[in-house]
Amino acid sequence: MKFNSAFLRWSAPLVMGAALMTGNAHAQSDSTECIAPAKPGGGYDLTCRLAANGLQETGLIDKPMMVTYMPGGIGAVAYNHVNGVRNDDPNLIVAASTGAAVNLALGKFGQYDASEVRWLGALGVDYGAIVVKADAPWQSLGDLMEDLKKRPNQIVFGAGGTVGSQDWMKAALTAKAAGISPRKLRYVAFEGGGESLAALLGKHIEVFTGDLSELRPHLESGKVRVLAALSEERVGEPYADIPTAAEQGYDVEWPIWRGYYMGPDVSDKAYNTWETRLEKLADNEQFAKMREARGLFPMARFGDDFDSYVKKQVAQFKQLAKEVGLTQ
Amino acid sequence: MRLAADRVLGIALIGLAAFAAFKATQFQVTFSYEPVGPKAFPILLSVVLTALSLVLIFRPGEDGEWPDKFVALKLAAVLLVLLGYALLFTRLGYLVTTFLAVLSLARLFEASWPKALLAAVLMALGSYYLFTLGLGISLPGGQWLPDFN
Amino acid sequence: MFDFLIHGFDVALTPLNLGLAFLGALLGTLFGALPGIGPINGIAILMPLAYTLGLPAESALILLAGVYTGAEYGGRMSSILLNVPGDAGAVMTTLDGHPLAKKGLAGPALGLSAVSSFVGATIAIIGLTLFAPMLAEVAVMFGPAEFFALMVFAFSSMAVMMGKDPIKTGIGAVLGVMIAMIGVDSGTGVMRYTFGMAELYDGIDFVVMIIGLFAISEILLMLEHANRSDASDEIPPVGRVMVSLKEVLSCKWAMIRSGIIGFIVGVLPGTGASVAGAVTYTTEKRISDKDNTFGTGNMRGLAAPEAGNNASAAGSFVPMLTLGIPGSGTTAVLLGALMLYNITPGPMLFTERPEVAGGLIASLYIGNIVLLALNLPLAGLFAKVLTIPRWVLVPAIAILAFVGVYQLHSDLMAIYLMLVIGIFGYLLRKLGFSLAPVILGYVLGGLMEDNLRRALSISGGDMGILWQSGISIGLWIAAVLLLVLPWLLPKLLPRKSLASA
Repeated sequence: MKFNSAFLRWSAPLVMGAALMTGNAHAQSDSTECIAPAKPGGGYDLTCRLAANGLQETGLIDKPMMVTYMPGGIGAVAYNHVNGVRNDDPNLIVAASTGAAVNLALGKFGQYDASEVRWLGALGVDYGAIVVKADAPWQSLGDLMEDLKKRPNQIVFGAGGTVGSQDWMKAALTAKAAGISPRKLRYVAFEGGGESLAALLGKHIEVFTGDLSELRPHLESGKVRVLAALSEERVGEPYADIPTAAEQGYDVEWPIWRGYYMGPDVSDKAYNTWETRLEKLADNEQFAKMREARGLFPMARFGDDFDSYVKKQVAQFKQLAKEVGLTQ
Repeated sequence: MRLAADRVLGIALIGLAAFAAFKATQFQVTFSYEPVGPKAFPILLSVVLTALSLVLIFRPGEDGEWPDKFVALKLAAVLLVLLGYALLFTRLGYLVTTFLAVLSLARLFEASWPKALLAAVLMALGSYYLFTLGLGISLPGGQWLPDFN
Repeated sequence: MFDFLIHGFDVALTPLNLGLAFLGALLGTLFGALPGIGPINGIAILMPLAYTLGLPAESALILLAGVYTGAEYGGRMSSILLNVPGDAGAVMTTLDGHPLAKKGLAGPALGLSAVSSFVGATIAIIGLTLFAPMLAEVAVMFGPAEFFALMVFAFSSMAVMMGKDPIKTGIGAVLGVMIAMIGVDSGTGVMRYTFGMAELYDGIDFVVMIIGLFAISEILLMLEHANRSDASDEIPPVGRVMVSLKEVLSCKWAMIRSGIIGFIVGVLPGTGASVAGAVTYTTEKRISDKDNTFGTGNMRGLAAPEAGNNASAAGSFVPMLTLGIPGSGTTAVLLGALMLYNITPGPMLFTERPEVAGGLIASLYIGNIVLLALNLPLAGLFAKVLTIPRWVLVPAIAILAFVGVYQLHSDLMAIYLMLVIGIFGYLLRKLGFSLAPVILGYVLGGLMEDNLRRALSISGGDMGILWQSGISIGLWIAAVLLLVLPWLLPKLLPRKSLASA
């Protein structure tokens, strides 16, 4: 009896709670979400926020986009999650970059490969850069390459990632362009670009293979010299004075695109809606300013064009990994 | 030798050290730039751990006070509640699972039914609004009403 | 020279910015007090809000910096009251803070830690104002070899914590280091102990680790305690509420020393509040623990890590503002926030955007005073948490643990991992282990391995690099002295020590 009366007394708030819950489940279904496969503050966070702030400010979505963090396995956890759990969620996009393509090529995403998701599009791109300290003996990429050929094992390279990461790839490609096996380098792996840059400023390493956008504060201070931008052609201010590697006769390019993918079983309708949204966003002038503020350069590849771009890139990386002996 | 808790621990730790060292020898390095490599530290640690564990086996400390059967069952129950909370967290959504978890935990900590129910309702709703509206944290809404979408 | 600061106070004292500093401090305290939700998440959550509201850059930065410093204040609360660290920097605060609360001194402990936080942060902010550009030069002199020496120093200063059971302290530290080995090896990219699980590639997350070890094991211990027959002293007596001036003054040197050390640790890129807490606690124990009461509720043992972690929070602004290099995870997020506004920190920031650099520093001064004013009177109120019955407290801890881990990972695997670590932590505590060495081993061990291997890859295997620079040599000597002196001194001065005893 006692239990019964207690039950009656508390059933009202319970019903209320249940009602609230259904309301909530309903509300969540039509709001958009971006998964950043990392902890807050990194490049993936930035990629998600670029879409979230851009789409909202240009009125392409009505409600703020939610940004969810799903760190783990350099993106593998999120990749598996989207493949396994939310494979057909029409409101979900996931941030990705060149780094994800490298990991896919190296088989670090477990059972899945690049064809398991629907690649949606890229909103911006950053480029690799070869950086030395301002008082270093090398005035141009040519100087560094000549020296590197003479004593490949003496010049200390450093960057923010381990062997096989996209940061390392830049160093490996540079060595390859000089005709040296990447295995012969002297290379130090740090945690992220910031630590490597500090090590360069403190003269603990001699060459830093970083990204253009993170160098911006240091261009003005005059403490570092950027020997080459790893872009197809020269990029705009404030990087306009930096020659590309190709101009200096070395075939090294390293674009770091920032884009998104969706689950494998998302309907064509949802996929096309997103494609149009991103295309419109990329054409928006207000958005161009936001992209620039994040240190990114324009890149507009969407839908099938982007899908084939990523798959081609992954295939290239697979080839490269074989050449340097990372995989069999 | 007396069977002391510390001895059991020591033996378990030596097992762990052996396992860790064995796994370390299996690490496949395709190529690396550094002279130390990924194996050295784990193997060194396994050796240190083994040495310390041997001291523990030969000179065990006093046995602590271990829970009796009744308390052990209750501990297992608490762990089961927490495990259930985790298993159902995204499936049933934050509000339902939190309600159930608070209710069972409060009961396990000897609250009466009315008190436990009150705590469960208030804490589930209160924390939900604190986190979502107050702090802007997103919580799982549950996947149990797919037809509504 | 201090034009930027005067300009900064002009900016920070506008009603909007004062209000934001207050709001940031309040929210930060709340974020910090909730276990698992630390300054990083607090800032990541508020950053889009600030941006969406269209706040100008300096106002947004003032709000976010308020959250950061507030979180370092708030982290101590659950450390003292529940024995569960509110964030990474507050791990060492549990060691003496919680015993004080158990003695019925929760109010004074909260008050004293608020004052210590204030003193530590103030020292660091003054340091930031006066020496920022100069310190930036020193910070980059710390390369892998110097960091390795620093870690050796930190481990040898841990020897002081060996206490009554050196073997178990050692085992705890080794286990902590071993846990840090899990994940992708940062030197070679090899997977270590991941058993093919993608969730383990990045290693075991710090938050999962401290919530599991402390919060989950605490729930289990509370259950045991509730069922014990001799549980007469269920609710600790709530003694007086306010900390006395005498108690504060008795800790003044502990606070000042720890503030300075914490600031220096914070300035170094790569070491944050958790290392600062550890180093200041062990240093203070060595200097002032004459009667061996650290760990049982010594006021200085509480004041030191609190001054230290708050000082390091302010110190990590130095490399961020002057070099554009984040000194901690939290400043990395702040750096991202600055980039949203197209502001690129660096040496030119103080001259080119004085309203940003000065406004931020001025708001740190103001926020710090706001926080002290907010926290001192609240100490008595928060101390009442201890009188909450267990059947409310335990579910609350469980909710906080789950939400804390889930909002960080959006992944159930992390929660399972937390539960497993919780059982592990419970067993360790039942077997007479202290959890602090495990955490310290985990934090310092990974840094130690990475930096040793980096140093040796720079030199191509030549060990000489480890003691090449003046900084490393100094740290090595200090480390050796720390280990040898306590053993050597009594032998050199036998009569004196006997006489004084």
